[in-house]
Amino acid sequence: MSLLHLCFYSAFTLSGLGLAFHRTHFISALLCLESMMLSLYVALSIWPIQTQTPSFTLIPVLMLAFSACEAGTGLAMLVSSTRTHGSDHLHNLNLLQC
Amino acid sequence: MNPHAKLICTLSLITGSTITISSNHWVMAWTGLEINTLAIIPLISKSHHPRAVEASIKYFLVQAAASALLLFSSMSNAWTTGQWDITQLTNPTSCLLLTAAIAIKLGLAPFHFWFPEVLQGTSLTTALLLSTVMKFPPMTILFMTSSSLNPTMLTTLALISATLGGWMGLNQTQTRKILAFSSISHMGWMAVIIIYDPKLSILTFYLYVLMTAAVFLSLNTTKTLKLSTMMTSWTKTPVLNATLMLALLSLAGLPPLTGFMPKWLILQELTKQEMTVTAVIISMLSLLGLFFYLRLAYYATITLPPNSANHMKQWHINKHTNPMTAILTSLSTTLLPLSPMMLTSI
Repeated sequence: MSLLHLCFYSAFTLSGLGLAFHRTHFISALLCLESMMLSLYVALSIWPIQTQTPSFTLIPVLMLAFSACEAGTGLAMLVSSTRTHGSDHLHNLNLLQC
Repeated sequence: MNPHAKLICTLSLITGSTITISSNHWVMAWTGLEINTLAIIPLISKSHHPRAVEASIKYFLVQAAASALLLFSSMSNAWTTGQWDITQLTNPTSCLLLTAAIAIKLGLAPFHFWFPEVLQGTSLTTALLLSTVMKFPPMTILFMTSSSLNPTMLTTLALISATLGGWMGLNQTQTRKILAFSSISHMGWMAVIIIYDPKLSILTFYLYVLMTAAVFLSLNTTKTLKLSTMMTSWTKTPVLNATLMLALLSLAGLPPLTGFMPKWLILQELTKQEMTVTAVIISMLSLLGLFFYLRLAYYATITLPPNSANHMKQWHINKHTNPMTAILTSLSTTLLPLSPMMLTSI
């Protein structure tokens, strides 16, 4: 495993672990999701350089566009959770538990 | 909700599902899943109630993480093999990560905790969409990659979800949560067979969609959200309640009804593959499900409560019922004699 692989694999894994285990604020969950997406973006844009397939270079931009849409939706839900629950604490979301 | 916004969301749902099921490239499959996730969120949170907002937040976080995990698994596969083809998933680590991502998307146990809560926070029609349409794209990805997945892991996931789906459904009084746990245990039945006979798994999924749509549409006609409402709903629509009982027993998999067909064929295929122990365990676990379906059916038709009713009376209204309910209910009760034809034509 090269240094490059180690970099984006560990970036993805650490932000995934952050999303799974650091459950206080909704905004920090959104930031973790965004950093997962950014590490995927870096990996997807280095892949065509390493394998020399220039037809693939459009794909990272497509992925970035979708992750921006996702971040926008997340921020919209941040606003709506602040309006309905009063804050963005994730432990306030306990109305539906079994 | 604004009809234009609703139209756009529905069209995006159809587009996203079509993109995923017709794609051959991992990035296109991921794109379809993302479109699906982004399109269902306004439908979940359309009644601006705190419960709906909470359900949409939970759904969004889980699905976004699962999509990212799916793209990560295909990307690590592409780094080792140079392939972006869906059917060419060969790296074992990527296969495990993909199985986890699809299990999160489908609500297979032990990744199922979001599913009953999200269903509880939405309306009955959106719950129907979530448990049928939203499961179709991940199911097709599982179908296309079924040759390279790990059989031990999938069988374990399937047995755990059949157990937990039956077991946790025993304790519920809300119909949407009961149907969510029934969906989890049906997903277990589909996952146990996907390696050995992928087409049978897809047939099981179609029949599950048919039966669960019949049940959800019948419940939506009488707006039944909990068991105590169900006890008095016979005053509203007596005939519909009788057919609802048949649809529920079909979902449980009792022999003269449609729901027996997938269970029968799956048990036969598992026995052919010399997995007799798995077949015995999973057929025993369907008894747990049978208990809560029977309780639903019992409350739907058979009894009056012996005490005086302490809940609001329901009025008999001549409301127009959806003709789809009749078609789906009759299909979900009478399709068993056609099983040889369906088995050969699928």
